[in-house]
Amino acid sequence: MDLLYWFTPWEESAPVFIATVVVAALFLRGRARSNPRFQQKLYFWTGLAFIYLVSHTQFDYYAEHQFFIHRLQHLVLHHLGPFLVVLSSPVATLRAGMPEAGQRACRLIAEWKPVQYLLSALCNPVVAVTLFCGLIGFWLLPSVHFTAMIDWRLYRLMNWSMFINGLFFWGIVLHRGPIFSVRLSPGSRIAMMLAVIPPQIVIGAMIFFASSELYPIYTICGRAIGGLGAIADQQIGGIILWIHGAMMSAIGILIVVRGELMQQKH
Amino acid sequence: MECFVSGRFILALMIAFAAFALNACISQKPWHVEEVTGHLPDLKFSLTADNGRLVTPTTYEGHLLLMYFGFTNCDSECPVSMARLARVMQLLGNDANRVRILFVTLDPGRDTPQVLHRYVTQFDPDRAIGLTGTTSDIERLTKQYRAAYRPRSKIGEAGGIDHGDAVYIFDSQGRARLLATSADSDEHLAQDVRRLLETAH
Repeated sequence: MDLLYWFTPWEESAPVFIATVVVAALFLRGRARSNPRFQQKLYFWTGLAFIYLVSHTQFDYYAEHQFFIHRLQHLVLHHLGPFLVVLSSPVATLRAGMPEAGQRACRLIAEWKPVQYLLSALCNPVVAVTLFCGLIGFWLLPSVHFTAMIDWRLYRLMNWSMFINGLFFWGIVLHRGPIFSVRLSPGSRIAMMLAVIPPQIVIGAMIFFASSELYPIYTICGRAIGGLGAIADQQIGGIILWIHGAMMSAIGILIVVRGELMQQKH
Repeated sequence: MECFVSGRFILALMIAFAAFALNACISQKPWHVEEVTGHLPDLKFSLTADNGRLVTPTTYEGHLLLMYFGFTNCDSECPVSMARLARVMQLLGNDANRVRILFVTLDPGRDTPQVLHRYVTQFDPDRAIGLTGTTSDIERLTKQYRAAYRPRSKIGEAGGIDHGDAVYIFDSQGRARLLATSADSDEHLAQDVRRLLETAH
């Protein structure tokens, strides 16, 4: 099997392709003007590559047909990918890469009152934490999950909502400066990251300890990897949410603490 | 005044929501198997039937279709599922004449129309039809219905093909309506099929 085949999309999605190309082009263009550090570039490209690879290659087939791979896909879309992209602080570079008209349009949208209200509401710590955990729980409700996995439109909505929510959440908690004129103290940002841990542990543990098959859709439509039983697949998926989901918070907290200590030193 | 209006507005919204919820409860269709109306696309294919003719869904217009993905060398799920569908047809009695079983092969290399014909007639000589096509035709169809199928996979070459056990049920207009699995009993499946036949008119 040729290597290139693995990089062809399982299901072509114009929005995923266009969004990736546009963001990559903006970063490349802005690079010359804003001159990001090597670390920033590394984080940005790794994050973007991860997000693209899990959503627009043959990996997507396995995510559709194996529960634990679906959880890995969401770990990248909701946690790792947005985490790395936010860590690269790409806004300045992306803005520098935008043509004048694009920058003006962005300013106009950002200054529009309803958008400001919406953004400040979404930046509220309680709202952000609830949305982050609520979305994980919602898409994992057995009946919702069943429908999302058979309906390609809902499947895409699920993946996009996870990615956008991840970008938003990690953007708020990892970014030091004010976000949409809301400034959160390092303490509340750490508290937010701590607050998302227990719900993920509880949902992950509930899936891990379930004695019956919670997501029969994978058995109905067939599993991608033969020889792995339904319960084993479910348990690995539960562990991924339980441990790895919570792990990202721990890394995030260390980064915020380090950032604060570095600032105090200067 | 403003407070009064918003209070009334909220009350109206709550009533509307309650009415919507009540309506949803009343009109909920208690199918025995999973209902998928609106979630899966309408049936669309162009494949070769076991009689060697090129067929499309319009060939079976007016018939309720039970579609199953499998392969003739399969020694576990496929014969069990096909025997089950044959029993459902028996349970349907005369109504079964308005139903067709479509057995779509996942192994088009080995399952020629002749092989398929021999296979499906063992289960139901009149109403079961074997379908084959190119690998890409079959891949397109499985992809549409989210059925696991890797034609290029090495596991497939070894002999066995991992696949689901779903029976996709389409109404006489080719719309995907129900999704049955091996967990559903034959009687329940027959009841749902009969109900779907009744609502067709």
